[in-house]
Amino acid sequence: MAERRPVGVRPAGRGIPARARPVGRRGGTPAARPAAPSPAPAVRPAAPPPVAVAAARVRAAVAYTVREAALAFRRNGLMSLAAVTTILVTLLLVGCGLILSANLHHLARVVEGQVGVVAYLREGLTPPERDRLVAAARRLPGVRAVTFVGRDVALRRLQATLGDRVALRDVVQTNPLPDSLEIAVTEGRQVRPVAEAVRRLRGVEEVAFGGEVVDRLLAVTGVVRAVGWGLALLLGLVALVIIMNTVRLTILARRQEIEIMQLVGAGGWYVRSPFLMEGAVEGALAILLAAGVLVPAYTVLVERARGALPFLPLLGPADLLPGLLATIATGGFVVGMSGSLLALRRFLQT
Amino acid sequence: MIRFRGVSKRYPNGVTALRDVSLSIEPGEFVFVIGATGSGKSTLLKLIYRAEVPTQGQVIVGGRDITRLPRRHVPALRRSMGIVFQDYKLLPHKTAYENVAFALHVTGAAPHEIRPRALRALGVVGLEERADAYPHQLSGGEQQRVSIARALVHQPPLLLADEPTGNLDPRTSWEIIQLLSRINLHGTTVVVTTHNKTIVDILRKRVVELAGGTVVRDEDYGLYTPRAAVDVPHLVGGRRG
Repeated sequence: MAERRPVGVRPAGRGIPARARPVGRRGGTPAARPAAPSPAPAVRPAAPPPVAVAAARVRAAVAYTVREAALAFRRNGLMSLAAVTTILVTLLLVGCGLILSANLHHLARVVEGQVGVVAYLREGLTPPERDRLVAAARRLPGVRAVTFVGRDVALRRLQATLGDRVALRDVVQTNPLPDSLEIAVTEGRQVRPVAEAVRRLRGVEEVAFGGEVVDRLLAVTGVVRAVGWGLALLLGLVALVIIMNTVRLTILARRQEIEIMQLVGAGGWYVRSPFLMEGAVEGALAILLAAGVLVPAYTVLVERARGALPFLPLLGPADLLPGLLATIATGGFVVGMSGSLLALRRFLQT
Repeated sequence: MIRFRGVSKRYPNGVTALRDVSLSIEPGEFVFVIGATGSGKSTLLKLIYRAEVPTQGQVIVGGRDITRLPRRHVPALRRSMGIVFQDYKLLPHKTAYENVAFALHVTGAAPHEIRPRALRALGVVGLEERADAYPHQLSGGEQQRVSIARALVHQPPLLLADEPTGNLDPRTSWEIIQLLSRINLHGTTVVVTTHNKTIVDILRKRVVELAGGTVVRDEDYGLYTPRAAVDVPHLVGGRRG
């Protein structure tokens, strides 16, 4: 006769009643130690102080993370290579965009700094006349500073701009340049009224100011700046998507591993850390490679450009590159990490 | 230890795996959960280790209702038990030792304890000499023993085994079950789902049979098929109940 019992009803006092096994992890007779000869804690080396244990735990955790990342890198070398290459290309793109954008900003700054009025003086002014003129110009509203530039100085400046490729003395026998006043204005807007006023001063032959050109240039550089930012943003977004997908592929290849980790009871960060570390290492490698390409490339470019287009105000490598590399490094790092996190999120749902 | 109160589980695809299951497993018990494929055995275990959440009812493990357990507490729940699977679920790129040590790592055991404890767990399952072998270098039985060592190494009060002998030959299956049974003798609660009639019939432990998502039988010292109980009891010493 089969013993049938109503579903779910268990007789009281059956079975081996709880061999008083504490639920705590380390309490009581450990079940996993049936082979151990004595139930007393056999292996318990002289307990180190708690701080040392905590430190050792942290060290162990770090060592674990690094080891896992290194292992993963060795194991899926091709995958990692793909990831590094992808990030590298993305960083190079972003780098070029940033170089372009930074130089446009620089150009705008240079042009802005040059806003001012130049008054060319009639030839043959006596020194007292000249001094009066300077004083009159200084009194005009909107004028910040007035500098007298003698024709000799002007010539020397021109020579300096042209560099030592062309010797002016060979081209012209006499100095063709007039004396001039360089008038700096308090605000860009003041250029036009100041120029008008200066033109009416006696002894001024001609007035030049970049007014309209500057207006237009500033409008253009404004647009260019916006485009530059937009470009950087777009490239950053593209980088995020690409890196996310790459990381997702590497993670997909190791889905089983993640599942097992979770089943064993690994916490979210425990599971994430090796992947994040891997992403960070790949990102760092890509950043180094990108730096290795961008630094010499830009240095050579600037050198060449200085020779061919001496008047183009390019940022010097020393001015641009440190900031650029810092941006790329943090950007690459942040994007890589967030890409990894986003890609991991799907697998950590359970 | 474990209590199911009117538990139903319906998967999003419309399949109802469990229907109003109530069940209680006391500390120190050894329970076979049997039933045809699709009867809900695996779902029952998944509800215990919170791989699934019931659609209705309560699952209480170690005195805690885990139905509403926040996700961040799930790892702690899993560390309070050991789980053994039909397909072993060993990390393929780690050695037997590393697989076991890994589980200890996860529980946050002190570093200086990990090595001795992992080796001891491997000793319990008789695989100390194979500690440095990778899973693919081990036989199915050996792999299952590694996974049992991993499930035991943190000395959990509860061991779940989902068809642990499903992929093994009868002899190896028997060894595995004996191992689980030995572990149970040391006080660990063991819940095993299985199809293996022979093993259930020899061991005569508590048997919970599922069919169509409901418990159709729950008896102590049970047999795989209740009909067989008609003939056997008087031979082995009478039925109990």
